[in-house]
Amino acid sequence: MNPKDIFLLAFEALVDRKVRTVLTILMVVLGSSLVVILNGLSAGQAAFLEQQFNTLAANVLFVGSGQRSFSSFATSTSNSLIINNVVLAKIKSLPNVSDAIPEYTGSVQMNVEGNTQRASITSIDPSKLVVELPNLQYVDGSTIKPGDRSSAIVGDTIVNPPGASTPFLTLGETIKATATYSDSSGSHTVVKNFVITGILKPSGNAGIDRSVIINLDAGNELLHKLNRYDQIIVAATTPDDVDTVQGELTSTFGKTLGATTPKALMAVRVQAASGNNAFILMVGIIALVVGAVGIVTTLYNSVTERIREIGTMKAIGAQNTEILALFIVEAALIGIIGASLGTIIGIVGGYILSIFTTTSPAGGGPPIHIPPIFVPMDLIKVWLLSLFLSVLAGMYPAWKASKLSPMVALRRE
Amino acid sequence: MTKSIGVQNDEKNTNDVSNTKSEKSMQSIIDDFVLKTEHVYKTFDSAAGKVIALEDINFKVKRGQFVSIMGPSGSGKSTLLNILGALDRPSSGKVIINGYDIFSLADSEIATMRNRLIGYIFQSYNLVNRSTVEINVKLPAIIAGMSTSEANSRAKKILEELGIADKAKQKPSNLSGGQQQRVAIARCLINNPAIIMADEPTGNLDTKTGQDIFDMLKLLSHKFGRTILMVTHNPELAQLTDRTVLIKDGRIENDIMN
Repeated sequence: MNPKDIFLLAFEALVDRKVRTVLTILMVVLGSSLVVILNGLSAGQAAFLEQQFNTLAANVLFVGSGQRSFSSFATSTSNSLIINNVVLAKIKSLPNVSDAIPEYTGSVQMNVEGNTQRASITSIDPSKLVVELPNLQYVDGSTIKPGDRSSAIVGDTIVNPPGASTPFLTLGETIKATATYSDSSGSHTVVKNFVITGILKPSGNAGIDRSVIINLDAGNELLHKLNRYDQIIVAATTPDDVDTVQGELTSTFGKTLGATTPKALMAVRVQAASGNNAFILMVGIIALVVGAVGIVTTLYNSVTERIREIGTMKAIGAQNTEILALFIVEAALIGIIGASLGTIIGIVGGYILSIFTTTSPAGGGPPIHIPPIFVPMDLIKVWLLSLFLSVLAGMYPAWKASKLSPMVALRRE
Repeated sequence: MTKSIGVQNDEKNTNDVSNTKSEKSMQSIIDDFVLKTEHVYKTFDSAAGKVIALEDINFKVKRGQFVSIMGPSGSGKSTLLNILGALDRPSSGKVIINGYDIFSLADSEIATMRNRLIGYIFQSYNLVNRSTVEINVKLPAIIAGMSTSEANSRAKKILEELGIADKAKQKPSNLSGGQQQRVAIARCLINNPAIIMADEPTGNLDTKTGQDIFDMLKLLSHKFGRTILMVTHNPELAQLTDRTVLIKDGRIENDIMN
């Protein structure tokens, strides 16, 4: 029997049991599409993380009060040091430190001609932004006014929120920023107007792209920080000095100050992401295995139902290997169709799901959409894995069919 | 009916298996007899002990002979047909078809023998209902690895000869019992077998259709020199064959030339 005939006979057998075949293919589709979706979303997330950290300079450290948490910028309150100008001066005096840039952070409600939007506030000397983000670029017409307490620079995502057809604001426009804070006397609201003097080009760093950057003094006032910095960006003389500076900071301030590097943050995030990936991949593979069990059931039933046919085929001369091949090709066809449809549906589903799984940034602003990334080699691997599991699932029923004695098979009703 | 159905020495005859890998293990005893059995025994182990289904079966079938096998239920005639048709191995003894001691071969080679030397007609037709009549007829040729054009041409010719060419694209389940049995006959002829094994081919048919099918087999034997072994319960049909072998209690009780 030549391969073409085996294929045609196997295909005919599958078509004959349309509903069962479709349901079995559906199981493989579900399994493989799930793996494709999860893989794509994980790859997208990993790439997004990498992009965020790649925008940061290699020679900077982030210093905050207390032990720095690796998983976020949150700081613990116990044994923490208030970061003020004294601490700043001390850090600046450390060897191998070329600069130390203080910053306040918070969130505000922005109002531009009646339109409102929440946004993160980064209060920093704007001329020092390039120390942290060396590739930062401004749109034409932007001016940086470090000493101007009423000027603001805004990130690209603030100006062009995802899905919006017109810019939220333009250069020269005035925004009204409203911040709230609480103290022992209650809750207070601070309102300040800023003129947009600069707009950043998309930097790839979601944090900065969603920020309103204002003068340090303006931030201190708007966010009611009382000269207590949230973070100091420490620039080491060279990237090779980062570890030395981190050591110096630890020996000088102990656990009252925490310092971490983009590299360390990246490593922890990637590790966490890879742990997640392994878990979700397991879920996908379990779905695929369930699909494979479906194939075993379908083909096993098929063998039982077609036992006389198998006997007839053997009586007219079919070899065991040909019967084996017929059933394996049936399983392979289910696998090929299921894996191919699963891959396509997985890609489409990945994009759709990524739209529904946008995350809102902590500081406010438009939700972050992380598009999935489908690496061709990963898709091929998932396709091959689906096919392999399908063929593997078809092995037992096929083997059972091939080993049937023709006489016994012919006698079966 | 043209001569093509009865072709025995066709150059493309697929029963020429001399070029198979089993050649060395095959005992070539070419003579006038297309089938010979030598001291064939078949025993089964059962809870009640050893059951002898066939005992010392010795007979020869001449080329072109139409032989009927008769016997009461449980006499061993179907067991005999299964062994002669290479569907089951004997406990001991030899079965030689067209000069080949078939049970000296490996299972895969026996399968090749079934494909090339033996044609089967079953009582319940045993057609693949999801496939068309044409594909059913071509199945043995497909298994033999025959080229598509050759298989198509043979199938077309045989279906025309058997008067069911117009049913080629239909599914067997849409045909009458007589037409289905004709399809089964066409299937058994496609590889030009040395011998045809028919297991009660008229058993599922009404008298008239059964007679038509029998007449067709007789025509194949007498006009086209086909060798046929037919198990039947019908003594009237058996009498119309060249020879009747009566089996009782696993032995040949009588061997009559009609």
